[in-house]
Amino acid sequence: MLDFESLTSSVSTEKLTLNESVFEQINKQIANQLNTGIMVLDSEFNIVVWNRFLQIHTDKVSVDILGKSIFHAFPELPERWLIRKLASVLQLNTPTFCSWEQRHHLFELPHTRPITTDSEFMAQNCTFLPIEDDSQQKFICILIEDVTDVCHYQSQLQKTLDELATMSRIDGLTQIYNRRHWQESLKQEFAKAHRHDKKLSLIMLDLDYFKLLNDNYGHQCGDMVLIEVSALISALLRVEDIFGRYGGEEFAIVLPETNLMGAIELAERICRKVAATSLVYNNERLEVTISLGVAQLSSYESSYEALITHADSALYQAKAKGRNQVCSAKCDETSILD
Amino acid sequence: MNKFHLTEDQQDCLQELINVAMGQASDQLARYLDTFVYLKVPSIESVDAKELLQSLSQQKNTMAIVSQGFFGYEGIRGEALLAYQEEDSGRISDLLGYEPGELSKDEQLIDISSILTTTFLNVFATQIDNQMSYNAPKLLPSVQNSLSEHLQQMTFNWDLALKVNINYQVTDYSFNCNMILLIPETAIVNIKNVLDRILAEF
Repeated sequence: MLDFESLTSSVSTEKLTLNESVFEQINKQIANQLNTGIMVLDSEFNIVVWNRFLQIHTDKVSVDILGKSIFHAFPELPERWLIRKLASVLQLNTPTFCSWEQRHHLFELPHTRPITTDSEFMAQNCTFLPIEDDSQQKFICILIEDVTDVCHYQSQLQKTLDELATMSRIDGLTQIYNRRHWQESLKQEFAKAHRHDKKLSLIMLDLDYFKLLNDNYGHQCGDMVLIEVSALISALLRVEDIFGRYGGEEFAIVLPETNLMGAIELAERICRKVAATSLVYNNERLEVTISLGVAQLSSYESSYEALITHADSALYQAKAKGRNQVCSAKCDETSILD
Repeated sequence: MNKFHLTEDQQDCLQELINVAMGQASDQLARYLDTFVYLKVPSIESVDAKELLQSLSQQKNTMAIVSQGFFGYEGIRGEALLAYQEEDSGRISDLLGYEPGELSKDEQLIDISSILTTTFLNVFATQIDNQMSYNAPKLLPSVQNSLSEHLQQMTFNWDLALKVNINYQVTDYSFNCNMILLIPETAIVNIKNVLDRILAEF
């Protein structure tokens, strides 16, 4: 199985007979002590050789395996696909591979870390090598490497990367989008709306008298209010709306394919909902209200920043007019609640 | 011209070896895939790493790149990169003779790459009395700019590489891909020795 050609060639003919049997023994022992599965198939895909690794892991005995078709011995193998793959080895005389990244495993073998990993079967990298004997009879050698560890750590890493990606988008306190991700999304929606001539609206909103709330009840109370109000608003939005924490007690919602009327309607619903919900902190009822500014993208705005400015100045108007209300940027239309 | 550049004779000799290898490889591939495989006359050039990065990153629409390392006796080694365009790879499972649901898109790309690379290099190795071994082929993660990143991270350090560009076309399956063999500096010297030996035998 191993290539000792270079060694044997330097040995004199006299010693060769003796050494060949030694080499054979060495080969056999190495093959049986390797932590890799070795299996050899003839050109009809019958198993002619297998090593100890496979014997132990399949918990089967050689009599039941040797001489049997690989598909008979391992019924879990995808037959049609594997026959085509094995055919390429025989016909092109080239190796072929099968990585755990595309197929977690071919052979259903147990592995040595059943408790510390979550996969049922041994993850495998398989190599199919063409081999020929002296009479030019063709065989296929299948090497099966246990890569359960690699697979496990790779999936842990992927999980961590996904978590990091989420964390980089989410505001830790309110669990809605953070400023950076929100602004990036607005930028994209702005470009899309411009390109396809679609409507786009923006709501900026701010908690009324938030500083006072913090001063009177403490920052923990302020945090609770931010969390509760974010949740209230989130529940009123469509999936495609992009809700983010703009800063401190200021929030913003991007509304794709929404005109000013639609945005005002939503803003008023949000305003009413927040005002009508009483929050409780340390057995005290808090009356929390918000002010909202609404703006719609118009064709002359060349940047998304301009849209923010318009919604922001509408928000300023809503504050100036007494808070707990919605103002819109374009028509200076106001709607006062209660 | 430095010790890593091929002389005109060496270049001709290599070109000839590759042409012959390509002819045999395409014949084998045609029989295995049961369709005609067209190969354009390959181009061979010595490129410095910087130029290569530029020319590769200029290739647009590249959807996927599969990399496979190869190594043989006498220090012949390198890396084969197969680059695919989105529009040229819709029918790979057909071409390979698989049923559509049998393997993922990634696996299709990896399988066809491995077949193209190893078939060609096996024949090429025979031409120079060598024998190749291969790493398992890898699909490079997200192609956008990753090719140049990948080249920068390659395990061997090189300033100069021998770049062999081979184009495979299977018109019946509107399949098309580019194989780029990158051979690093140290292996170029080894290839030059092999070429000189072959030239001397003429």
